[in-house]
Amino acid sequence: MKKILVIEDNPMVIKSLEFKLTKDGFDVVIANDGREAMKHLKENEFDLVLTDLMLPFVTGNELISFIKKNTPNLPIIVLSTSTQENIIMDAFNMGVDDFITKPFSPNELSLRVKRLLSKS
Amino acid sequence: MEHLQSSPKDRPTILLVENDLSVKKLFSDIFEKEGWNLAVCEDGLDVIQWLNDHDSADLLIIEENASPINGYQIADYIKTELALALPVIITTEEISVVQEARTLAYAEAVLKRPLTAQAIVSQIKSTLTKAVEAAPVKNDYYSLNYLMDLSDGDQQFVKETIALFSTTINLEIRNLKEVLENKDFGRIREIAHGIKPSFEMMENETGRGICNLLNTNATEMEMPKLIEDLSSEFRNINSQLIKDFPELKLA
Repeated sequence: MKKILVIEDNPMVIKSLEFKLTKDGFDVVIANDGREAMKHLKENEFDLVLTDLMLPFVTGNELISFIKKNTPNLPIIVLSTSTQENIIMDAFNMGVDDFITKPFSPNELSLRVKRLLSKS
Repeated sequence: MEHLQSSPKDRPTILLVENDLSVKKLFSDIFEKEGWNLAVCEDGLDVIQWLNDHDSADLLIIEENASPINGYQIADYIKTELALALPVIITTEEISVVQEARTLAYAEAVLKRPLTAQAIVSQIKSTLTKAVEAAPVKNDYYSLNYLMDLSDGDQQFVKETIALFSTTINLEIRNLKEVLENKDFGRIREIAHGIKPSFEMMENETGRGICNLLNTNATEMEMPKLIEDLSSEFRNINSQLIKDFPELKLA
């Protein structure tokens, strides 16, 4: 079973992502902030990371740098809001693979996740 | 998604897929006595055709092993492909708790054989009542369309998410007022950014718009009024949710 790390601090978004991804047959691990995410990334192996960019303690960009340095082949999807164009562009320049706007469209989420996992 | 209705109907329309003639007769007798409309479908394909040809039904009762499409597949098809929040009862042989849990991932309820009139009536009434509870009257403050669509009509998920909205936004509105006292305007923008998706998921445009302003264009002078407006909008949504979902005991 493919394992996905979700890094997000909005409880409703977390619940929705967990529900949809679990229903799609993935093993989902949740981190509520960047520090918790770092801990999971150091201790476990994941097939995909879905992350918000505005996180408590460790910023999204710091997290992306960490992943790109330590597990460069681990695909990353950024969870963004529609008002974050500059931040999303920065994230793409750092090597993220895709982005999904919150609140996400359920079918779009499934498609994007499956597409990225089929490449890895 | 068609899920809004105002009250339990006096004469609900119930679709039935049942192979056993004696059981079919049992349903027919019960429906006549209760005054419910019965639409007998030959199989799952007939159900889909019926739903395409008619405005709506209130409930589907289908055998687990219906052919050529079984009860699970039909329940899944109705919710995902047709995007209908039509409650489904699956009739099964005696099954284990684990199998029952699996069935309830697809359907709202299970009826185990041998079927009795009492069990049938009780389960139908309970399922119809729950369906209405999860389908509140249309209002100006929120809509459950997004959550219903996301979860394929999973009522437990929808109710848990409503409770989450109520508790977390209540807390964040208090946080907003506190950081406003401290004139921490950067933090106000962060909080607004964080909670904006919650209002969007409840399809509340006013809340989404205010969060967006607080997060982007609002000046520090405008923030107190916007936070007060957001607080007032949240109170309106929450009051409506308390009225629509008394069983959640929202504060």
